[in-house]
Amino acid sequence: MPKSEALVFDIKRFAVHDGDGLRTTVFFKGCPLRCRWCQNPEGLEAKRQPVYLKSQCIHCHRCEKAAKAGQLKWKDEKLLLSRESAESFGAIVDACPSGAIRYDSKPWSIDELIEKIREDEVFFRHNGGVTFSGGEPLMQGEFLDEILKACKKEGIRTAIETSSFGDHELVTKIAPSLDRIFCDIKILDPKKHKEATGQDNTLILKNTRWLLSSEEHRDKVIIRTPLIPGYTADDENIAAIASWISEIDPDVKYELLNYNPLAPSKYEMVQKTYRAGNHQPFSEQEMEHFRNVAREHGVYNIIEE
Amino acid sequence: MVTIQKESAAMEKLKNSKRIETLKKKMLDEERFASIEQAKIITRVYQENETLSTPLKRALALKTCLEELEISVEPEELIVGNRSKGVRAGIVFPESGLRWVNEEFETLPTREQDRFSVHPGDIETFRTEIYPYWHGNSMEDVISREYGPEISAMSKVVKINQKDHAQGHICPDTELWLKKGPAGLIELAKENAKNHPGNPDFYQSVIWTLEGAQTFMRRYADLLRKTAEESPEHAQDLNDLAEICESLAIRPAQTFHEALQSLWFLYTILHMESNASSFSPGRMDQYLWPYYEKDIREGRIDRQKALELIEALWLKFNQIVYLRNAHSAKYFAGFPIGFNIAIGGEDENGNDIYNDLSLLFLDAQYDLGLPQPNLSVRLNKNSSHELMQRAIEVVARGSGMPQFFNDEAIIKPLENLGIEEKDARNYAIVGCVELTTQGNNLGWSDAAMFNMNKALELDLNHGKCLLNGEQLGPDYGGLEDYETFEDLEEAFRRTLDYFIDEMMEAEKVVEKAHQNCLPSAFLSSVIDDCLVKGVDVTAGGAKYNLSGIQMIQAANLADSFAAVKELVFDEKKIGKEELINAIQNNFEGNEGAIIQTMLLKKAPKYGNDVKWVDELGSKWAKYFRNRMRDYTNYRGGPYHTGMYTVSAHVPMGENLGAGADGRKAKEPLADGGMSPAYGRDLEGPTAVLKSVSRLYNECTTNGGLLNMKFLPEFFKTQTGRDKFENFLRAFVDLKIPHIQFNVVSREDLLDAKAHPERHQSLTVRVAGYTAYFVELAGKLQDEIIERTSYAEI
Repeated sequence: MPKSEALVFDIKRFAVHDGDGLRTTVFFKGCPLRCRWCQNPEGLEAKRQPVYLKSQCIHCHRCEKAAKAGQLKWKDEKLLLSRESAESFGAIVDACPSGAIRYDSKPWSIDELIEKIREDEVFFRHNGGVTFSGGEPLMQGEFLDEILKACKKEGIRTAIETSSFGDHELVTKIAPSLDRIFCDIKILDPKKHKEATGQDNTLILKNTRWLLSSEEHRDKVIIRTPLIPGYTADDENIAAIASWISEIDPDVKYELLNYNPLAPSKYEMVQKTYRAGNHQPFSEQEMEHFRNVAREHGVYNIIEE
Repeated sequence: MVTIQKESAAMEKLKNSKRIETLKKKMLDEERFASIEQAKIITRVYQENETLSTPLKRALALKTCLEELEISVEPEELIVGNRSKGVRAGIVFPESGLRWVNEEFETLPTREQDRFSVHPGDIETFRTEIYPYWHGNSMEDVISREYGPEISAMSKVVKINQKDHAQGHICPDTELWLKKGPAGLIELAKENAKNHPGNPDFYQSVIWTLEGAQTFMRRYADLLRKTAEESPEHAQDLNDLAEICESLAIRPAQTFHEALQSLWFLYTILHMESNASSFSPGRMDQYLWPYYEKDIREGRIDRQKALELIEALWLKFNQIVYLRNAHSAKYFAGFPIGFNIAIGGEDENGNDIYNDLSLLFLDAQYDLGLPQPNLSVRLNKNSSHELMQRAIEVVARGSGMPQFFNDEAIIKPLENLGIEEKDARNYAIVGCVELTTQGNNLGWSDAAMFNMNKALELDLNHGKCLLNGEQLGPDYGGLEDYETFEDLEEAFRRTLDYFIDEMMEAEKVVEKAHQNCLPSAFLSSVIDDCLVKGVDVTAGGAKYNLSGIQMIQAANLADSFAAVKELVFDEKKIGKEELINAIQNNFEGNEGAIIQTMLLKKAPKYGNDVKWVDELGSKWAKYFRNRMRDYTNYRGGPYHTGMYTVSAHVPMGENLGAGADGRKAKEPLADGGMSPAYGRDLEGPTAVLKSVSRLYNECTTNGGLLNMKFLPEFFKTQTGRDKFENFLRAFVDLKIPHIQFNVVSREDLLDAKAHPERHQSLTVRVAGYTAYFVELAGKLQDEIIERTSYAEI
């Protein structure tokens, strides 16, 4: 893919939970982590793939006529698509009248994406703007840097939702173009982090430390921890994270995200298995308990929706 | 900026009183009856006065009704007056037409929607004493004789309205009525009569009706005093109210309570005279302000008392309902009658104004949650955070109120219609969403509904109806004949022109019949310029004489044109014959289903911020609107257009065969008027606003309607309500004339689960993102349904 293009799996307008005001959120495809509880499994793979949405299919079998040998086959009412040479599915995607077979993502150029973001400019008052999310936006770093600068040029306020798992140079390079930075710290213990997400957290902590230490950028940062039973949601982990971040920046803003029981449903769609178990969201009392743990460990600036 | 007219004291929300709770319960518990009482009196007066002119007969009939109709009061009432003894009665009204009553009288107690009980003997009295006198002589008969066959021949394309009932949708000069009262208006009529010696009947008819109004008020005073004797615990209040009624017969209102009571008498009598839908009070927070402010200042009332009085009036707005035939009741279910009140907005000098009354009106709706009055908040660039937040809290209650209008999109286009700047700035809303100037306008809203999608159907199929093959219009070709997309557009243009001409002939006949059969003296006394000109309002006495035509339905039209352009002409993915076969067979069979799916899924749709698609709708609406400039209505005023169907998208859809937008035969069109078709707006609410903003505001000077759904969850936090305010302010900037919100309830979600096809675009928050509800697994839907139930009203 040319550098001036990024692979984006979704663009949500009227995003109201990804920062201040009303926003457009751009979801970059591809993520280096494999968190067991991932809410956006369709954004994990860093390449473009054809997908089949059973609910949209009218079983007209036009796809079969358009397909070359081995590209797809029907098995027990299920359509299986070959995983090779995604781009060659063009004729099949085109032939499908319902859109049941489609690409899971699309390459966007800087100009196209800026134009798309600007469609909702009239709604970006009171600190609204664009949020880059994913996947992991840092994975397509050069494009990210370029699009952020383009947004700044247009006067569009920018935010990022990142795992902070990315090249440190890149983080220092893009920070000046961002108005809001949401960084996850999921688990402080490196070993446990690796078990749950597939990656060590050294890089994450390095980037976070740099951001929180920076006079210029620390005010933009909100640290987030998703509360996942059995992985992140225990007093010890919250206490460790709270101590760690508040030692770097006593004014740090911290947000605890309640467990979301709805994520598993998305796994069916991408033919994957959800591996974090089924749980209920935490009650308001339990949430308050976790917030208190954070408060007791030095964080006073806790964000509540 | 003007000084904001409101108390600086804390604006805490007040609760309604026990008295209001009692009255509300009584009202809702009371059985509804059909009433022929007024019809009997009117028939008798006509029979006894055959030699009088129609204006005099009509006026005398109203006067007699005001003197004789049985009246009642409740001991707890603070505002009295009704046009029947029981509340929410369905009034049988003879002068405009009784054919449907004759056909359906027996079914009123049992029909599916809007039932009315029938008093024993009424049907017989109706058939022996009332119907024979009017049969052949009422307005509907006059229209039938003169243009019946033509009106029915065009009915699938153009539905001509107001053929059997009086024209409502009027905002009278309530301020004048409050300042003069009936006695003052009689003086005014007498003075003006001197300048028009040639027109004694008009002034005599006005004076008779006003004298009737005085008698009506005095009768309530008497009844209140009698009730006071029987209900000692309410005696003080009842005697005070008696005093008010008696005073209002001879002098103008002086206090807030008097002004509210006076206002209600006006609207009761207007309904009695016309039995029409929607006489609307307009900008009540403005013209009632001096009465309220003075009473508060002088300590006569406090905010709590004011709220009680307002809620007492709000209850009265729910006591007059409109008896419709079974067909119409299905589409206007729940007796909507349209007491529309405008809140806030620019004043005559262009300053944004609102006051404590604006907020109290919203509080009253928050408390009562009843269908009337219909509250409309006027927004503009300078709207206050306080008013918007209060309005948003009421929206979150889920009653669909208030709706919002946009000064930035409405005032200038009204001026372009020939309306003076100060009148345009003072606009109000009548009925549902129809725009009007205040107190000086016979707007003739919804004169006809023009189904542009039927016109397109005819152009695909040689002028023949797809449902039954009938030749409905000229044969300008079929899809297979058109070499280019532009050829199809040209045929469409000619078909529009043909039916516009037909429609205008019918309009003349209808307006003439109203003028001859339904002169309205009482109404004329409160519509500016009628008394000065000596001309009845139906004959053009108002300062402004508009006629509004509804264009149905830009969304489906744009979707159909876009699909044909892209899939048939540009990309040639569907053959012309293929498409024609598919729509002729209503997409039956495998091939039909594939074509329908492609039309639905492979072509872009209105409502997704795709400029060229949206413009296919807006350009034809504009063409239609511009054609209106070639005609003048029977009262000498201009035609203009609106884009609101309210619920007519259902019957209008029933008249249609399958569409090139993938719509199956007889299925509903897009709702609202400016809204996208159900389930086709997949880019979210901001994209919808962008698309709607591409419609030209000159096309919606008679009113536009945009519906949107939100989940109650959105309004739970102050952050959510602030973001909603951002959204509304963008709506103002985008210059969209109207928006209303359906805050989706559990029922809607259950329906979405059962009928996903109807709720394709309903979005819910799943995780860090929002998803389409219907694309979620059943179990997940259940979870969301459970999750949302806390917000049930």
